[in-house]
Amino acid sequence: MQVSLSTKSIHGVTRIGADPEGVLGESVYGITVDAETFYGRNALEGCGEKGFDADAVAAQFSAFVQDCVRSGVRIHAMRMPRLRWDTKRTDLRELLLRFGREGIEACAGAGCHFVVMQPLFAGIAREQLWRENRRYYAALGRMAQRAGVKILLENQCGHVNGHFVRGVCADAAVAAAWIDALNAEAGAETFGFCLDTGAGNLCRQDMGEMAVTLGSRLKAVLVRECDGVREASRLPFTGRTAAGQDADWPGLIRGLRKSAFDGILILDAGDTLRGFSHLLRPQVQSLVCAVAEYFRWQIGMEWCLRAYPSRVLFGAGNMCRQYLARYGEAFPPLFICDNDRERWGTEVCGVEVRPPEALRELPEDCVVMICNTFYEETAEQLRELGVRQIGAFSDECL
Amino acid sequence: MHKLSVGVQSRHIVYDEDPAEGFQMLLQSGFTCCDFSLNAYLSNEELYKYRRNDFFDRPVSALSAFFGRHREAAGAAGVRINQMHMPYPCFVPGAPKEINEYLAKVVAPKSMEVCAFFDCPHIVVHGFKLAGHVSSEQEEWERTEEFLQTLGPLAKERGITVCMENIYTDSGNRIVEGPCCDAAKAAARIDRLNEAAGGEVFGFCFDTGHANLVGLDFENFITTLGKRIKVLHIHDNDGVADLHQIPYTFARGRENQTSTDWAGFLAGLMKIGFDQVLSFETAPVLSAFPEQMKRPALAFIAKIGSCFAEKIEKGR
Repeated sequence: MQVSLSTKSIHGVTRIGADPEGVLGESVYGITVDAETFYGRNALEGCGEKGFDADAVAAQFSAFVQDCVRSGVRIHAMRMPRLRWDTKRTDLRELLLRFGREGIEACAGAGCHFVVMQPLFAGIAREQLWRENRRYYAALGRMAQRAGVKILLENQCGHVNGHFVRGVCADAAVAAAWIDALNAEAGAETFGFCLDTGAGNLCRQDMGEMAVTLGSRLKAVLVRECDGVREASRLPFTGRTAAGQDADWPGLIRGLRKSAFDGILILDAGDTLRGFSHLLRPQVQSLVCAVAEYFRWQIGMEWCLRAYPSRVLFGAGNMCRQYLARYGEAFPPLFICDNDRERWGTEVCGVEVRPPEALRELPEDCVVMICNTFYEETAEQLRELGVRQIGAFSDECL
Repeated sequence: MHKLSVGVQSRHIVYDEDPAEGFQMLLQSGFTCCDFSLNAYLSNEELYKYRRNDFFDRPVSALSAFFGRHREAAGAAGVRINQMHMPYPCFVPGAPKEINEYLAKVVAPKSMEVCAFFDCPHIVVHGFKLAGHVSSEQEEWERTEEFLQTLGPLAKERGITVCMENIYTDSGNRIVEGPCCDAAKAAARIDRLNEAAGGEVFGFCFDTGHANLVGLDFENFITTLGKRIKVLHIHDNDGVADLHQIPYTFARGRENQTSTDWAGFLAGLMKIGFDQVLSFETAPVLSAFPEQMKRPALAFIAKIGSCFAEKIEKGR
């Protein structure tokens, strides 16, 4: 699984070409170039009316991509310009097609394999949506195939006088059927899906179920938070009142685990970042990275279990019991280790508890899963005992 | 003059002390049908606290005797009881076994008997809300399906259609889609249940307010379910909370256009040739307005129903 920072949530993004390390800090993440960084949310709305110069912006976009390539910044994906969900513009199909072609070309030049392209919806009757989108994507599919680029469709919101409702590709089963049909026509896996959690949250969708329904078609997840009423790109976990969280992140994590997601996790916390003074933004960006890492760890936890044929649990407390209840059958441990000598020789759910010294004689392909929240201290102890394969378990999103 | 009937919830209108007054009020306000609020006799708030009253402890004969005056009053007013709501939830996660057994083995079958007593053809049932307790929506549905299957034979015998409703799940600050919010799945499940039951024993109740809360596309949802939609719960909200208010009362933008897709609702009903009752689930309106406004508020709701009916019939 790759973690990618949206250009909308990188402080000082325009300096990335000149000073990649200064801008991205110590993070080793790649980026997703979001065209909205250059075009702005309202740019297309005023296209042709307010002096919007598509050529000039395209040149700026292209120059930025080239800068990234020159400076060795890894571009995971590009998200092309899109219409607002309440758009009045029904006349921009040719321009969107042009953006699509330019995006594919830019991806190919940058060694990037994914371009996210909003499905068409403006001014199209519901009965015509599939026909029009099929024609639109087919026009780009062959070019993408030649360039070794996958086109990702994205779930959209509809708009009823200020209220967001499910729009095109919001129904995961329908989106999956579209992708399958497009791929069948292309004769290759040219199309996939990018799940926009912002749109999903606005439509109060069960995003975990969406992830499961999309399965391997899901190539990217755009992780951003909103309050479920207004559109925003906030840092996950920041929306909370006394009544609870704004978004169901554990549900999404469970769904992504279940669908064995191994694509790109795109973090977009642009609105949170811009909400802070520029003096504080570097710290906010560190938090964005920490959140990204948390998602990667939580989603990938089962990968770690699958990767090793045997495992031992470290910690015989409540988290260990949670592990055994959830994974005890699929991934049974050889034994459990604990520092508490009182527990040695006892059993937890039928599994023996042994002292840490027992870890000195582990099989080669065995992983030790830390089942307590003292991850760093325990990992240090394990390394001192000569353990090489160390995993960290969490019962937060079971 | 339209042919489609218009109905409303009995809650806050029909009282046990004098049901005749309530049914007369319904008639005078312009309603010819009623959604009998059986759920009012067993509080959902109490159930979530693992508590219950003893209303359904009495035998069916005593329940029939209790509701005899209601039935008589409805008949005298010429108001048809077209649908009723089974007390909900039908299953309380984490509750003591006795509570859930009581709901499944006592409340549910007795509700069906009360429904039959009123010659009411539809009963609305909520699916089990088990998010966080089971690993998938499919597993959640399977638990609901087991429950529905226990109702099937009695429903068939009594000529009642058990209608599943699109509902939401709320967790603290957050409302997310709950059982029956996927129209394609709901349609397939109803068909399968009916096939197994050997008749049209199961149907759907489309709730506009719940659909609005979880951003469903009304027209698409209604047309996907088609003739499986037997009853409606028509009400409005701000897209944030389940307010059960009068349609067309919420706007978001400065243009002050309705933020609920009533046009899509009517278009969907036109497309499927909806010929059942336009029933409003707007009891909270009646507790919000002052007492002296109750009749005008009801008449206004009925007028909206007539307006809907005319539009649907004209558009067919």
